[in-house]
Amino acid sequence: MVEITYIGWITGPALSLLLGFGVLMVLAGIFWPKYGLIALSRKSNLNKQRVWLEDALKFLFDCEYKKTACNLNSIAGNLHISTDKTARLLNRLRTMGLITMEDEANLQLTDAGRSYALRIIRVHRIWERYLADETGIDQMDWHGEADLQEHQLSPSAANQLAARMGNPVFDPHGDPIPTIEGAMPVHRGQPLSSLEEGTVAQIVHLEDEPYTIYEQLVALGLYPGMQVYVMDKTDGKITFAADGEECILTTLFAASITVETIQSKEKIREKLDLLSSLAIGESAEIAGLSPNMRGQQRRRLMDLGFVPGTAIRAELYSASGDPVGYRILGTTVGIRKQQADLIFIKRIKNEAS
Amino acid sequence: METSNLTNKDNEILSLANNLRWDLGVNFHDTVIESIYEDASRIAQRTVAQEGDPAKHFDLKIDRIVTSRWLGFPIMFLLLALVFWLTVSGANYPSGLLADLFIGKLYPLLKQFAANIGTPAWLSGVLIDGAYLAVAWVVSVMLPPMAIFFPLFTLLEDFGYLPRVAFNMDSLFRKAGAHGKQALTLSMGFGCNAAGVIATRVIDSPRERLIAIITNNFSLCNGRWPTQILIATIFIGGAVPSYLAGIVSAGAVVGIAVLGIGFSLAVSWGLSKSILRGEASAFSLELPPYRPPRIWQTLYTSLIDRTIFVLWRAIVFALPAGILIWVVANVHIHGISIAEHFIDWSNPFAVIFGLNGVILLAYIIAIPANEIVIPTVLMLTVLQTGMSGVGAGAGVMFDTASIQGTEEILRAGGWTLLTGINLMLFSLLHNPCSTTIYTIFKETHSWKWTLVSTFLPIVLGLIVCFFTTQIWLLITS
Repeated sequence: MVEITYIGWITGPALSLLLGFGVLMVLAGIFWPKYGLIALSRKSNLNKQRVWLEDALKFLFDCEYKKTACNLNSIAGNLHISTDKTARLLNRLRTMGLITMEDEANLQLTDAGRSYALRIIRVHRIWERYLADETGIDQMDWHGEADLQEHQLSPSAANQLAARMGNPVFDPHGDPIPTIEGAMPVHRGQPLSSLEEGTVAQIVHLEDEPYTIYEQLVALGLYPGMQVYVMDKTDGKITFAADGEECILTTLFAASITVETIQSKEKIREKLDLLSSLAIGESAEIAGLSPNMRGQQRRRLMDLGFVPGTAIRAELYSASGDPVGYRILGTTVGIRKQQADLIFIKRIKNEAS
Repeated sequence: METSNLTNKDNEILSLANNLRWDLGVNFHDTVIESIYEDASRIAQRTVAQEGDPAKHFDLKIDRIVTSRWLGFPIMFLLLALVFWLTVSGANYPSGLLADLFIGKLYPLLKQFAANIGTPAWLSGVLIDGAYLAVAWVVSVMLPPMAIFFPLFTLLEDFGYLPRVAFNMDSLFRKAGAHGKQALTLSMGFGCNAAGVIATRVIDSPRERLIAIITNNFSLCNGRWPTQILIATIFIGGAVPSYLAGIVSAGAVVGIAVLGIGFSLAVSWGLSKSILRGEASAFSLELPPYRPPRIWQTLYTSLIDRTIFVLWRAIVFALPAGILIWVVANVHIHGISIAEHFIDWSNPFAVIFGLNGVILLAYIIAIPANEIVIPTVLMLTVLQTGMSGVGAGAGVMFDTASIQGTEEILRAGGWTLLTGINLMLFSLLHNPCSTTIYTIFKETHSWKWTLVSTFLPIVLGLIVCFFTTQIWLLITS
């Protein structure tokens, strides 16, 4: 007979239940994603001094690239540190020969400083590209992840990663990726907020900072490559059609979108229907895949024939209503609504035929 | 750097090319791919004449029925229940025959033969009582259900019905962050987890495939059904009036299986939100045309690819485990066997979880197959309690002729209703058998995911058993 005995310090089920909950809480505290000890220690492993130093160089380069003003206060604001600390940081940068500083408003990168900044930016943008194309990380988390990774990944590891992805030249926000030698194209485009009514342009870049503005742009479904047509500009608000879909933004938010005006008389894109709007039995023609459909998913659908011009018919609902089976190129393929929302179609006008 | 062997001229050309790529803009790659596809489809449209597709009309008719809102799920449950019923009821008889042959007839002959040629007792113990008996046990309980289950399952697959199951179930699995095809690998797991893990190859999205692999162990496999039924009959059936015993114990076993599905979905959800959040994911589900199943081919491939394959891996692991089981029960240190040392040492720890040292040791040394857990438990209990007149000796796994016999031994070992419930829970929530663990490693090529798949269920099992036990004690005290 096995006796039900307890280790000395457990005296009853109530106490052991409490202890059990305690152990569970400790485990959760260690393993919880994002806020657990493991996740936090990953962040705090970074050398803070180095992170500030590199972030400051990045910011200085960004100002230089966009030809905007840059001073001690704007750096302090960007790095979320006090002006005292920023002043000390700038002194350190100067003694390291990475910047020249005549006074607090006139900061210049030296050649060494510029190439250091470009190395960091290259790693950051390659990593964003990698997250967008090869992983399932949410769009809103790319920038934060890359901000951590840029201080950790060695340039040679980043180069290997880039080579594996076919040496991409743009990050998913439309920013150019500096080459290994540190070359960058001349900054192009202008903020959307500066366009006049009636102008047609193409989005070339979405600024991913600050987070709240970027979140709003993503929620509107904007992405580089979209065609915009400015419809109205009044009272600090701008109304525009992005690939036919009407959007309204304040001028402040619109300034986060960089566009290039389109010279040639390209026809204005109309709003397209989504595959998810097709009822059972209806036919249509694929018009394209949204750029928000990325990586593997995009390749898979393209392999199955989801390319512009292919005929498609909605054929049957599953027992639970989602996914829906579509007939395409002689096969039936089940597609979830989530994906069908990212596939554009043109309805075929003559249903009778 | 990789570019060091390039000349200046080469580098110039490369950087020029890079600059030109910047000018092409962000949509360049897509435009190229799309124009290739457009060209291809234009050529195909011009040159390929497609005649009417007579089979398609018929397909659509079947599809409208098996994926309909009202009939879709009932048809699915009926078909799968039929497959399981055929497996469970059909496997009993051949299993009995094999056990009779290998254990009832061949085993005494081998022992006799070893004694006749003067083999030392320890050697015949290690080889015959240990290795041979473990392998014989695994073969006789594993082979018949698999030889029935896999061909039936493969027939449904070959006919084209299984993709429709995935199609219907996808919305449930989508909410758990998984792929609809996990419904298939989960069902396959009810046959055998190792085969279920191999079956995840049909899921071509990396994240969803890993989820399906890690959670497959929550499908109650063939090897665990008999344990569940036995323990439910003894302890749960025994706790209610006899006219309710049958239905209540059957309900308990089904409840455990359903709990397993619940864990499978919940853990899938948790994984997709935490450690697998970043893995790439892609969904598409092809619904191939129906076709008459090729019966002989199906029989052949399911027997060779699935049954024999899995059985062979199980045998390879059962052999050393059989030796280990014999050794821990027969090698003595300070007068008592290693097994008893471990049992005594782990008992205080095990009772916190409502289990006992015998169960813990049995789950560790019977890792090759869930089928030999109960024989090992019985052997260890007899060893530990020093019961006389039952069993076949230290290190020799055995099964009693009747359920009453098993019950007597377990109750002598201190088992209560609570121990029975915890054993049922732990049998569902513990590490996969070594065959499955090895298969997971082979499929993922990753130590990390193999370890996660192994230890996650144990941790869950211990947590569930702990809270069940302590709440039970709190209520009954």
